[in-house]
Amino acid sequence: MQSNLKLKGLLVITLLPALLLYSFFVIIPIFWSSYYGFFEWSGLGDATYIGLQNYIDVMQSPVFWRSLKNNLIIVAASVFGQVPIALALALMLRKSNWFQIFVRSAVFLPMVISTVVVGLIWGYIYDPEIGVINTVLRAVGLESWTKAWLADPSVNMYAVAVPIIWNYIGPYLIIFIAAIQNIPSEMEEAAMIDGASGWKKLIYIILPNMWTTIKVAVVLCISGSLKAFDQVFVMTGGGPAESTEILATYMYNNTFLVYRYGYGSAVSTMIILLSLILIGISQVLMKRKNEGMTIR
Amino acid sequence: MRKIKIAFLGIIMMFILTACIGNGDSKATKRSAADGKISISIWHNFAGDDLRARKVRNMIANFEEENPTIEVDEQAIPVDGYRQRISTVAAANELPDIFLTYAGSFTDEFYNGELIQPITSLFEENPEWKNSFLEGALEPYKYDGELYSAPIAMSATSFLYYNKDLFTANNLEVPETWAEFVQVIKVFNDKGITPIAMGNKAPWVAQSTTFGAIADRVTGTNWFLDAVEQEDASFTDPIFIDALHRFKELVDNGAYSDGANSMDNTQAEQYFAQGKAAMMINGAWTLSSLGASQSEQVLTNIGVSVVPGIEGGKGSGNTITGGPGGGFLLSSETKGEDKQAALKLIYKLSNADAQKEIAESNSMVMYDVDIDKENVNPLFFEAFNLIREVEFAPVYDLYLTSEAGEAVNNGLQEIMLGGDPEKVAESIQKAQSSN
Repeated sequence: MQSNLKLKGLLVITLLPALLLYSFFVIIPIFWSSYYGFFEWSGLGDATYIGLQNYIDVMQSPVFWRSLKNNLIIVAASVFGQVPIALALALMLRKSNWFQIFVRSAVFLPMVISTVVVGLIWGYIYDPEIGVINTVLRAVGLESWTKAWLADPSVNMYAVAVPIIWNYIGPYLIIFIAAIQNIPSEMEEAAMIDGASGWKKLIYIILPNMWTTIKVAVVLCISGSLKAFDQVFVMTGGGPAESTEILATYMYNNTFLVYRYGYGSAVSTMIILLSLILIGISQVLMKRKNEGMTIR
Repeated sequence: MRKIKIAFLGIIMMFILTACIGNGDSKATKRSAADGKISISIWHNFAGDDLRARKVRNMIANFEEENPTIEVDEQAIPVDGYRQRISTVAAANELPDIFLTYAGSFTDEFYNGELIQPITSLFEENPEWKNSFLEGALEPYKYDGELYSAPIAMSATSFLYYNKDLFTANNLEVPETWAEFVQVIKVFNDKGITPIAMGNKAPWVAQSTTFGAIADRVTGTNWFLDAVEQEDASFTDPIFIDALHRFKELVDNGAYSDGANSMDNTQAEQYFAQGKAAMMINGAWTLSSLGASQSEQVLTNIGVSVVPGIEGGKGSGNTITGGPGGGFLLSSETKGEDKQAALKLIYKLSNADAQKEIAESNSMVMYDVDIDKENVNPLFFEAFNLIREVEFAPVYDLYLTSEAGEAVNNGLQEIMLGGDPEKVAESIQKAQSSN
């Protein structure tokens, strides 16, 4: 009993610094910012209390909903792009010969490049005049396919999503490889003895055993892409005509370009709520799948 | 248990201590009391390697040498991040003693927030200096009869640059009327040459360089000023919609390349300088950037004119959008001997010598000064002379609320993507009237 109490005390003491830092720099600012959302404030001078008006304006703003839609495109691109590609690569690159190490490093490389540089590189790749894509298309005679990739609203949101996928496959690949390597070899051997190989092994042994890892990856993916900002900001800044606006750029532009700090704060509060909702939904969906699998 | 309590106390103490040190630090940078020197801080955006930036930084260094009792804490912040940095410290009430501002709503915000104080005494002490500013130069910095800054720049945002070779090769004259302008655009388009280079990725470009000039020619300046005040004029008036349609006419005639909305302004300048586009409507900043990056030969091949007049429009055809540019502001927190030192530095950076230095670094000033042709590039000299024969028209985003400015910027991009001028006009009106 005595030692139990001591242990608890120790836990409290050791957790306290992190908890304090976390509340000072994360939790309190979140509430602070949602509190600013109740004010009409230009960032300078006095703030006037306007109740829920900012939040109502956010809900009624068509650009906010467009940003949300665009953001969901990024979320979808990440969840259905990054995770499956990383998973496929992880399955192919389990061993460690020099070729696989090389491919692994190559896939991981974009991760260590600054996201601003990624935005600039892809900005040049997409450049309508000197960009690689249009140059190649022209060279092979597909002149009619050339586009102003970042300026044309019918394609630019997808164009913007590609570098984000490319940028973040690396970490998921590493996580997945670790998860695969953690699967006990007895289990694989047992499966082989039972005659399971190839697809069967993948579906009945490998995937169920790394399901929790995949779940974590999906949550990371969703929360990561909801706060996507840097690449889009560098490539298009949310434009042209707000066609590639995502939630974070919308918040940024309102706060720092139009000087509506209150409104910007209301938007960031909405981003937090939406992230919580989306992650909640994904958890519920994945939980069901998980149960289904174990029953089978 | 006791040990735990002590450890806990220790942690709390550490927090309090670090918090104190944190506070102390920010004050410490403001004043180095130890050696009895006066310390003033100055923030500006002359961070680059261009001639003007180097000259301004030099002036500040000279000031420190001439005044050994004053220590200047200087921060040069790149132009792109400057507004944000200043807004952020202003929101936290930690403005430096002196900081560069832009004329218009940016300065209004500081005045309305009571964050700045007048420097009228400086003008009273130096009447000759005051009288040498060009007409209207001090207007944007005048609030309630007091002057808050002295402009050290002129913002002229809508020169029409043209490639002389391309015009002669195609037997064309530089357009002076709208009809000629549209005709020239058509001819260049048929030849496969981009008629007008524009880099509108940061969406202020179309508004600041092109649309402001077109709209002023259509509506006249007074209508615009009324519309800004929302008195007897609204942005949904037919006359403004007509102005938007003029811009649409340029777009519809293929004046701009497809990627104009994803190209940035610097890229567009290079594109034009390489002879891939016949014209470019751009500001005085282009004079400095082309001057720094292009050969003498390229520069002599570029001509400067004004945006063509519009027949039947209410505004003059011989205007350039622009007016007084940035100047230094004095924080309202600066008092006593700090204030005297700060005033001295502001004068040093905007007096007659400073204005001449700045003009001879290929930058326009709002000050009556003669420049030496040998000291500037040929393109700048041509523009410097042109500017003395034209009148100024307001730059849109310097007068509109920042919200309405954004609405114009985004609206012009929409029009470039095929949007409807009427709808754009509505959203501009909505944004301007909401304040």
